[in-house]
Amino acid sequence: MAISRGLARRTVPEAADIISTVEFNHTGELLATGDKGGRVVIFQREPESKNAPHSQGEYDVYSTFQSHEPEFDYLKSLEIEEKINKIKWLPQQNAAHSLLSTNDKTIKLWKITERDKRPEGYNLKDEEGKLKDLSTVTSLQVPVLKPMDLMVEVSPRRVFANGHTYHINSISVNSDCETYMSADDLRINLWHLAITDRSFNIVDIKPANMEDLTEVITASEFHPHHCNLFVYSSSKGSLRLCDMRAAALCDKHSKLFEEPEDPSNRSFFSEIISSVSDVKFSHSGRYMLTRDYLTVKVWDLNMEARPIETYQVHDYLRSKLCSLYENDCIFDKFECAWNGSDSVIMTGAYNNFFRMFDRNTKRDVTLEASRESSKPRAVLKPRRVCVGGKRRRDDISVDSLDFTKKILHTAWHPAENIIAIAATNNLYIFQDKVNSEMH
Amino acid sequence: MEFKLEAHRIVSISLGKIYNSRVQRGGIKLHKNLLVSLVLRSARQVYLSDPCPGLYLAGPAGSPAAPPQQPGEPAAGPPAGWGEPPPPAACAAWPETEPQPERPADPAPPRVGAAEPAAPVTGAGDALRAGEVEEAEAAWRRVEGPREAAEGGAGVFAGAEGPRGARRHCGCPPGGEDRPGALGACPRVDCRCAPRPAEDEPPAPPAVGPRKRGAAGVGGGPAGGPAPGSSPLKKPRRNSEEQPGGAEEEEEMETGNVANLISIFGSSFSGLLRKSPGGGREEAEGEESGPEAAEPGQICCDKPVLRDINPWSTAIVAF
Repeated sequence: MAISRGLARRTVPEAADIISTVEFNHTGELLATGDKGGRVVIFQREPESKNAPHSQGEYDVYSTFQSHEPEFDYLKSLEIEEKINKIKWLPQQNAAHSLLSTNDKTIKLWKITERDKRPEGYNLKDEEGKLKDLSTVTSLQVPVLKPMDLMVEVSPRRVFANGHTYHINSISVNSDCETYMSADDLRINLWHLAITDRSFNIVDIKPANMEDLTEVITASEFHPHHCNLFVYSSSKGSLRLCDMRAAALCDKHSKLFEEPEDPSNRSFFSEIISSVSDVKFSHSGRYMLTRDYLTVKVWDLNMEARPIETYQVHDYLRSKLCSLYENDCIFDKFECAWNGSDSVIMTGAYNNFFRMFDRNTKRDVTLEASRESSKPRAVLKPRRVCVGGKRRRDDISVDSLDFTKKILHTAWHPAENIIAIAATNNLYIFQDKVNSEMH
Repeated sequence: MEFKLEAHRIVSISLGKIYNSRVQRGGIKLHKNLLVSLVLRSARQVYLSDPCPGLYLAGPAGSPAAPPQQPGEPAAGPPAGWGEPPPPAACAAWPETEPQPERPADPAPPRVGAAEPAAPVTGAGDALRAGEVEEAEAAWRRVEGPREAAEGGAGVFAGAEGPRGARRHCGCPPGGEDRPGALGACPRVDCRCAPRPAEDEPPAPPAVGPRKRGAAGVGGGPAGGPAPGSSPLKKPRRNSEEQPGGAEEEEEMETGNVANLISIFGSSFSGLLRKSPGGGREEAEGEESGPEAAEPGQICCDKPVLRDINPWSTAIVAF
């Protein structure tokens, strides 16, 4: 990446400020982030202007609102966290923008509208809105719309509640723009965007006897073009492609993508590290990208036996799984992303590092999202983690990695080489200006 | 031995995680706990299968995990604190688990430390001591799982004792099982078996109760004496120290929600347990509760109370 610009959301880190999801809208003009405190912040890209060539499409805060509040389920004596797990934009159909945001239990549809004009010159009211003394009204005047400072209004249009017993981990809008699905650990529901009081259960993997539970759903997504297809990943590392035309309840998959485990890598933690934390269809719809603890894999929808590509994200952690289990890092759920042309994939790692893999050249790079290395206009320097052996000057050794600095959420602009990286409570947006064509 | 140590450590850590998950905000996370339970199972299998001598475990290392019940296996003998090598047949019966470096013996779960001086007992033939043994056993069993004959593994003192060595007379060793008695290191001070380590006695008729031990099993001074062979299984009201109170609370949380971790783990996800044919649910629960100590629905007892018990058992009971 040639040029970078960091945007800090807060200077003093608080738990509520930890960013929990990042998502570009379909044009890339808007970028939404959700945090642990239940807030959503939307950034808008400034249009490039010839007058100020340096502010080349930078992102500024567009709107901030409180999406979810902490709730308490009295029946079960459980607190429901307000943390935003996922945000998904709806395709824009009019002047307003809409997005879905969800916490563990409730999904909400928000409508974001702009107001930049207001009527002035009322006949019966004065400028402050007070009724005029009728005796002073001698002529008829019609209000005229005058420009005003832009005001962004956000309102909750729908609340989809009580659809899930377990924690919601993903939502995905269907290409038909009418329905969307929400997935929790054991079930996936299909909703209509306009209907909040009911949903259809399309996948249910809850066993009759909970003690027989062996796997849970970890992520799911609709196919970008085929409105009847969706995929869901499991904690066992498998992917299931389902066709909603086949049956009302899609418990039986149409395709099962699974790679046999390598017995030489077996350890106590084999099951944990094979759990898929994220699945994303490519823009073309032909491939799927999955992330498990140590790798990212590209799967071809036409081949179920194994992924077509596997990239090691941080294999040097393989010998440290026990420590990572102790400090809970092994449960971190990293996300992954495709670039617009499906030629590069990106995912986060520890020490505020994130990795990019070029599928064509097979080259990969490790970059760091930190204030020190991200002055505006600075070029990001590739980083390297050394695992013993020769150590170059700027290398970081595995043992000095900071495991509290993890990049779980990343997003890639749908068309351009702009990426958004969430590093705990900071959001970094990097743009590749010099080299707009990466491959 | 390292595998066993590591496995032990992992089991302790896992139990701690499960315990902590009950109090974290947002409710119990099903996915994470499922993964932890899988690790727990793997570690336990390795721990139980690792044949290194359990001598080092006698002290602070902690007690042995309960070997999962093997279907069809004779009731597990009482905790062989001394770890006796199971009869060869049992070894073979041991279900395939992780490959172990050594195969012969199963590390005997060390006796729970200071908690009980008395032998774990099994009163196989020792009715006299039944009562007293009960107490000890109750606490002991709580932390130890059933020692199964299937458990492969040499006991600490395995060497001299043949597979059928018996300490029966003192009620020390696993009664019902063909378990070799400990070599002399009978924890029971007054154990008479001390002098006979080398003997290879036929196992005394096991007072072995049915494998399935009812809720009344150990714990509150059961009259019938613990079926020695039965797995610790359910240790309902183990000690007065424990608070059974949590049970109800956990049950409620479960409603439609996997939040009832205790019961889930108490009975365990499949695979975590090998349910014995006769045992069914109870066995499963008990079994699981062996190493994990917690009985479904039961809340851990005060940790401080168990401070004198080695870390292993403390972690187990905490759950």
